[in-house]
This record gives sequence, structure tokens and C-alpha cells, in this order.
Amino acid sequence: MQSRLKLRGLLVMTLLPALLLYSFFVIIPIFRSSYYGFFEWSGMGDATFIGFQNYIEVVQSPIFWRAFKNNLIIVGASVLGQVPIALGLALLLRKSNMFQRFVRSAVFLPMVISTVVVGLIWGYIFDLELGVINTVLRNIGLESWTRAWLADPDVNMYAVSIPIIWNYIGPYLIIFIATIQNIPGEIEEAALLDGAIGWKKLIYIILPNMWGTIKVVIILCISGSLKAFDQVFVMTGGGPAQSTEILATYMYNNTFLVYRYGFGSAISTMIIILSLILIAISQILMKRKD
Amino acid sequence: MKKLLAVLLVLMITLVACGDSEDNVEVSGDDVEEVKISIWHNFAGDDLRARSVREMIAEFQEANPHIEVDEQAIPVDGYRQRISTVAAADELPDIFLTYAGSFTDEFQKNELIQPITSLFDENPEWKDSFLTGALEPYNYDGELYSAPVAMSATSFLYYNKQMFEENDLEVPSTWEDFIETIDFFNDKGITPLAMGNRAPWVAQSTTFGAIADRVTGTDWFMNAVNQDGATFTDPIFIEALNHFKELVDHNAYSEGANSLDNTQAEQSFAQGNAAMMINGSWTISSLATSVSEEVLNNIGITTVPSIEGGQGQGNTITGGPGGGYLLSSKTEGAAKEAALDLIYALSNDNAQKVIAESNSMVMYDLDLNEEVVNPLFYEAFNLVRGAAFAPVYDLHLTSAGAEAVNNGLQEIMLGGDVEKVAENIQRAQTTN
Repeated sequence: MQSRLKLRGLLVMTLLPALLLYSFFVIIPIFRSSYYGFFEWSGMGDATFIGFQNYIEVVQSPIFWRAFKNNLIIVGASVLGQVPIALGLALLLRKSNMFQRFVRSAVFLPMVISTVVVGLIWGYIFDLELGVINTVLRNIGLESWTRAWLADPDVNMYAVSIPIIWNYIGPYLIIFIATIQNIPGEIEEAALLDGAIGWKKLIYIILPNMWGTIKVVIILCISGSLKAFDQVFVMTGGGPAQSTEILATYMYNNTFLVYRYGFGSAISTMIIILSLILIAISQILMKRKD
Repeated sequence: MKKLLAVLLVLMITLVACGDSEDNVEVSGDDVEEVKISIWHNFAGDDLRARSVREMIAEFQEANPHIEVDEQAIPVDGYRQRISTVAAADELPDIFLTYAGSFTDEFQKNELIQPITSLFDENPEWKDSFLTGALEPYNYDGELYSAPVAMSATSFLYYNKQMFEENDLEVPSTWEDFIETIDFFNDKGITPLAMGNRAPWVAQSTTFGAIADRVTGTDWFMNAVNQDGATFTDPIFIEALNHFKELVDHNAYSEGANSLDNTQAEQSFAQGNAAMMINGSWTISSLATSVSEEVLNNIGITTVPSIEGGQGQGNTITGGPGGGYLLSSKTEGAAKEAALDLIYALSNDNAQKVIAESNSMVMYDLDLNEEVVNPLFYEAFNLVRGAAFAPVYDLHLTSAGAEAVNNGLQEIMLGGDVEKVAENIQRAQTTN
């Protein structure tokens, strides 16, 4: 009994610093920010209390919902792009020979590049005249397919999703590989005896054993996509004419360019609420499959 | 127990490290008081002006060893945000560079800055050398808060001399000629106007402000800003927007104009990929450091074409007094004395000359040595002397209003509805 208590004391002691830092830099700011949402405040001078007005304006703003829709495009691109690609690569790269290690590092590489650099690189790739994509299209005779990928509102949201997919495949790949390698050898051997090879092995043995991890990765994908900011901010800044505005750029532009700190804070609070709702929905959907 | 001690120790180290206090004034052994002052500015780049300003600060530091100058050079793009963030936290540096107009108004209104009128009283000759109207943006109820160290001139028409000569074209001076020239270059497969409007202030600041002033006249605009008998849904403003739309409809801009940044557009124009470009005086300094002299000599500069039948004057240049240094209201005593000295050193007769000779416009009367500056700048400098100023839109509109104009112009470039854009601008200008 005494050792239990001791252990608990140790746990509290060791967790305390991290918890304090976390509350100080994350939890308290979140609540303060929703509190600022009740004020009309330019960031300087006096703030006036205006009740729910900012929140009502956020909910009624068509740009906010357009930004949310754009975020959903990124969520879709991440869940349908990052997860299958990372999973496929993990299945191909589960062994550890030189070549596979090389490919693994190559896939992981974008993750260690600063996201600002990623945005700049892809900004050049998408460039109308000098960009790689349009040059290739011109050279293979598909001149009519070339376009201003980041300026054309019909395609630019999909264009900015691609670097985000590319950027974050690496960590999911590592997680998946680790999970595959953790599947006990006995199970695989038993499956082999029962004749599960090739696709059968994938569907009946590997995927079921990974399901827990896949769920976690999907949640990471969703929350990561709702936080997306840096690459889009560097590539388009939310423009032109707010066509690639996502929730975070909308919040940033209102807070730091238009100096409506109260309104910006209300937007951030709405981002948190929407993220929680989306994650709850995905949890419910995935629970059913269990 | 040992573990508890260890945790406490870690916590204490963290707290001590954070609590490092900053004392402004300490008295040293000698009779001179040691002071520490901080200055923030946006001369972070590698262009001639930025280097000259940083040099002046270094010289000041050398000449005044008892003053410790804590200097922070912040890149232009993030400068406004950095300053407003520290202003929100009430941690402004002693001296910081500001922009004329609503940005400075906010600091003054919230009493975050203090006047530097005493500097002007002590140096009347210096005060009188500023051009007419130069000190107006910093004059609040008779007290002066800053001395401009720049002139913003945001709309010049740059053109490729060789292209105009080869095709036997006159540089357009009326709107009709302008449209004809645009059509001409389009027929030849040359982009008529280079523009990099990814950061959407560009179209507004360089092009639309000048067009709108020619159509509506300055008085209408100032009334609309104050919502005093004029609104942005007035037919006259719709007409101004339609003039911009006319440029778009005549394919004056390349398809990717909204995804290029301003520097890329400048380079593209300098390389001969476009025949003309409407841009500010900053283009001169950025081209002067990045292209060869031969390329530079091939660039001509003039005012934006006049618009017949418009309410405004024909040959205005949007602009006016530019940024200057502000003094935080919290700086007192010896630190204030030192700060005033530094502000003077960075804005006085000599400083204005150094800035002008680094190919940057100033609002100060001086004889420019043609030998020292580049020819394009010399031409522009004289162009500005002969022209009247028109207001720059985003310096007068509220930040929400300016944002709406910026986004609205991008919308028009993407084929959006002019009247809806006007409504959005009107709505944004009346919020807050």
C-alpha cells in the first residue's frame, strides 16, 4: 500500500512540471482567447464588452464557412491521401534493406524541412511560367492543361492540398511500419499455415492488427488538417480574393491584418469547437466498425 | 524527498531564468549615466537604404559609448504585426519605426507614444526644410510625434524603352492611349502590365489608388473615408472600379498575376517579359541592387495616364509622407534624452541626405547629387516634385476597409461583380 502511494506521489511530481507548462501555454490561453471573443478590441487600448456579437458574426460570415469548407477539402485530402499512401508505402517498405531504408528516408525528408520552405518550393513548382508542372505539360503537348494553379479559384484549393499531403506522409509511414513490425511473428506463422498469403494475409491478418493505429492516424490527420496554416499562408496567404482562405488564415488575417483581436479570438474558439465536433463524429463512425 | 528537491530545483531555475529583470538606467563609476534604449525598425534587408540606416545606428552607438542601443531589424512583411503584437502586450520598444496614417493614429489615440516637439523647437532650420505637408500626418493638436524619413510614392508607370521604340509607340498619357497600347502588346503576345498581386495590397496601392483618384477626385475619397455625404456604393466609385475592370478585361495582366509576388513581377518586367508596370518608388531601389546597369537604363518612368472626364487631376502620384520614428510614452529621464538624440541622428539633415543618396524618396528639401544616385531614381525624384500627391487608399481607410478593397480587386481580376465588391467595401469601412 505504501509503495502504491509512493508511486502515485512520484507520478504527480513528475507530471507536474509538464502539466504546469501545458496549462500555462495551452489551456489558459485557449480560455482567455474565448473570453476575448466577447470584446470589440483592436489589440491596443480599451476593449468593449459586446456579448455574443463576435460569435454571431463568425457564424453568419459566408467567408468563415467557405474557409471551413476549404479545411474540409484538406481533411479529405489528408485522410484519403496521406493515410492510404503511407499505409501502402509501409507495406512495401517493411523490410530493412538499404534500398528500402533509402526510400523511407526520402519519404520522411519533407517532414524535416521547414514548412515555410515547403510552401516556397511548391509555390515555384506551381508557378505559371517557370513552374515544373506547367513546363512538363507544355512539353508533352498538353498546353491546354496549363494554368495558374495557385491563382485559379477552380483548382487552387486542390493544388495547395498536395504539398500538405506530401509534407506529412513521413511520420505516418514511420508509425505504420512500427505497427507492422510489432505484429507477433506467431500470428503470421499460424496464418501462413492456414494458407493466408498475399492479399488474404493483408486483409485478414495485417490490417485488422493495425486498425487501432489507423484510427489514431486518422484522428491525427483530422486535427492536423484543421490546424493547417503555414504552407497555405506561404503559398497563397488565403487569396486570391479569399478563395483559399482556411480557418487559420481567416483568423490570422482578421486578428493581425485587420486588427480585430476580439473577432479573431471568436474565430479561434469556433475552430476548437468545430475540431472537437469533427473528431467526435469520426470517433463514432469508426467505433461502429469495431 | 530527493526527487521533490530535484523538481523544485528545476522549477526554480526556470523561474529565475524567466525573471531576469531589465533595468533601464544604471549609474556607472564615471559621471556619465549609462542608459539602455531599444529601437525597432524594418530596415532588415540588403538594399542600400537598409544598410545605410543600420550604419547610422552603428555610428551613433560608437559616438555614444554610454548609451547601449538594443537594435532589432524586423523584415518588412512581418513588421506591422510584430509592432501591433507588442503594443497589445504593452511592451513597445523605446523607439520604433511607424507608418504615417491610421497605424500611427492608433498609438496616439491610446497614448502609447509621446511628442518629440522639443526636437523641432531646438532645430528650427531642420523643421523648415521639410517639404510642405510633410509633418502633417504626425501633427496631433499642434504636437509633433515624428519626423518622416521617407516619402511613399506608390504609383509610377514604368516602361521598357526599347519595346516602345522598336514598335514606334508613344508612352501613353491618356486612358484611351493606355488601353490601345495594352491591346497592341497583347496582339504581339507580350504581357502589357506586370503585376504581382499575391499579397493583395499591390493592385490597390500601386494601381487602383491612382485610377480612382483620377475618376473621383481626392475630396470625394476623403468624404467616403469619413462616410460624410459619400459612400463606396456611389456611381462615381463604381466607375473607378470599372476602369480597373477595363484593364482586366483587356487582359492587361498575366493570368498568374494573383499568384506572383511583387518582387517576381519586378524581375519579370526587368527581364523584358512585360512592356509596362505600375509600381511604387520602392521598385527603383530593389531593381538598383538586383539588375545590371544596362537593364536599368532601358527602363523609363512616368506618371499613370490621366483619365478624361474624371473629377480628379490628371497627373497625381499616390503617396505622401512616409514612415518616421516614434517615441514610446513609457521612456523617461535619461533614456528619453538618449532616445531623442537617436531619433534626431536618424532623421536630421545628414540622415535625410544619406537616405536620398541610397535611392530612396524623402520629404525633405535637398539638392540631390545626380552623380551619386541612379538615373531612374533621379528621374522619379524630379517627377514627384512636379506632381501633386493623391491619397494612398490603405493609409486612409480603416484596416477592415483596406482589406476589403484588396480582396475586392482580386475578385474583379477573377471576374467578380463590381457592384458586389463596392458593397463589401462599404460594409467593411462602416464596421467597428
